[in-house]
Amino acid sequence: MQSVEKTPLFDTLPSDGETPARDDARRGTGKLSLMTEAAWSKFSGTRHTGLLLVAPALVFLGVWFLWPVLSMIVTSLSAHTVDGVTVQGFTFENYIRLFSSDLYFRILLRTVRVALLTSLCAAIFAYPLALAIARGGPSLARLVTITILAPLLVNVVIRSYGWQTILNKTGALAWALKLIGVANPPVLLYTEWAVLIACVHVYLPFMVMPLASAIARIDRTVEEAASIAGASRPRVFMRVILPLSLPGLAVGASLVFSLSSAAYVTPQVLGGNFSPLLGTLIEQQILTLNDWSFGAAISTLLIAMVLAVNLVFLKIVNRRFARWTEAGR
Amino acid sequence: MSETVSPILRIVVAIILLIVVAPLVVPFLMSISDTAYIVFPPQGFTLKWYGEVLANPEAQGSFLFSLELAGIVTAVSLVLGIPCAVGLTRFRTPGQDAILAVILSPLIVPLIVTGVALLQLFSMLGSRATMLQMVIGHTVICLPYVIRSVSASFVLVNRNLEDAAAILGAPPHVVATRVIWPQVRPGILAGGVFSFIVSFDDYPISMWLADGNHFPIPLYLYTVIERSFDPSIAAIASLMILFALLLVLVIEKVFGVSLARMAS
Repeated sequence: MQSVEKTPLFDTLPSDGETPARDDARRGTGKLSLMTEAAWSKFSGTRHTGLLLVAPALVFLGVWFLWPVLSMIVTSLSAHTVDGVTVQGFTFENYIRLFSSDLYFRILLRTVRVALLTSLCAAIFAYPLALAIARGGPSLARLVTITILAPLLVNVVIRSYGWQTILNKTGALAWALKLIGVANPPVLLYTEWAVLIACVHVYLPFMVMPLASAIARIDRTVEEAASIAGASRPRVFMRVILPLSLPGLAVGASLVFSLSSAAYVTPQVLGGNFSPLLGTLIEQQILTLNDWSFGAAISTLLIAMVLAVNLVFLKIVNRRFARWTEAGR
Repeated sequence: MSETVSPILRIVVAIILLIVVAPLVVPFLMSISDTAYIVFPPQGFTLKWYGEVLANPEAQGSFLFSLELAGIVTAVSLVLGIPCAVGLTRFRTPGQDAILAVILSPLIVPLIVTGVALLQLFSMLGSRATMLQMVIGHTVICLPYVIRSVSASFVLVNRNLEDAAAILGAPPHVVATRVIWPQVRPGILAGGVFSFIVSFDDYPISMWLADGNHFPIPLYLYTVIERSFDPSIAAIASLMILFALLLVLVIEKVFGVSLARMAS
């Protein structure tokens, strides 16, 4: 409103044939940004100031994050252990061992399987919740958001323990199953199922939030158009909401995959020694067997897995999504 | 409005929310059981497990240590993070994209890997300063959150308000405290609170760096779960859940930062 009223004012002033008013106005804005710039530079200086301000944090993370992670990758390639004795020198031996040993390869497969299934189950549970947040009334949206996010403040050890009390032989689930007439309820604790259930619970919020914001961004008129054209609710979901929410799903899935593939506490508490994941393997190799180079190799593989999922998966889905939206136009 | 959410969806959502809450409610029921082992449904009623836990010096020590550690880590993260956020958003810094990539990279690498890499470096350097090592390790994972949150709030600052204040004769320090600070305060608070929670709840960094004298509460809880089977674990779990609820209230009411904002 204001700008609409102001522009004719500036246009009428110089119409006398003179231009100083407009020049003044222009110089005014110039002076303005000069003033704030000068104000900042008074306690700053020039463009090097930016670097100076960034430097402490950058140096801190360079020394205490990049250096250790890079030197760990180097370790995985520069030594390996033969019968408990470290042999120096460039080698792929650690990686060959990881893929050729049946025991280690099974743990690797289990990790990928649990991480994939966790992402899938989290997506299935997250869609109804995300729909309620994005499309429900304000009170429903608030209730769901708080109930989903509050558990994040409860320590992961406690959340895993909570599932232990449910899946235990004398736990709540066995009790409930007996109540409805199941004579011999299965004991899920210390199985891969228990690990999966708890991982879905622990990492569900990381799927719900990106999905909810992706669904909230979908134009409601598209859904309305589909339902006016005769599409049933499930059909509107399958043909409109699901494809248009894929970017959110991609973000959520890569977050959940990254977190669950590196999970340590949840598999330990619920899987015990019966279904360890890569995190447990790293801990055993380094703290129990003192095999640093092999532990470093598993860690490097974990980084590579997470990076691959984050970069490739996100890129593919985004590209496909771009093509779909183009085709829709 | 309510038309867009069908009754079936409401029922499904209610069931999922019940499942989400269940593992946080069941420990409360278990904790009042007057038995020497954990059983559902609880038998009898007693609060003796709570008394036992609250009087336990190990639990107290770990809890206080975690609070202290999270406080120090948050302070260090804010001291390093706020100038960095200002530098990233207010100045044209050469190589900005590369700098941002380095700063956010700890969010991508699995925490357990960051922890083991740090342990290797510390032992290579021959360091024995456990407290310092833990502060460094936690700051590595908290600092990116602080920088991201504070940067987001600096990007949203309305420059016209600064210009207006400057025109009206406000000197730079007044512009900073009266115009910029109120606009970036929520972002700084959210970053600080988030950093505190991340440090307080951290397990995968501490598991490598801690020792007997510096034993944060998540590690303590884990050892208790591993070694004992009576309802006192359920009691300590209940207390931790209550503490988290208290934290939600403090964050929402006192700091005025909504949970949803922090998560985004």
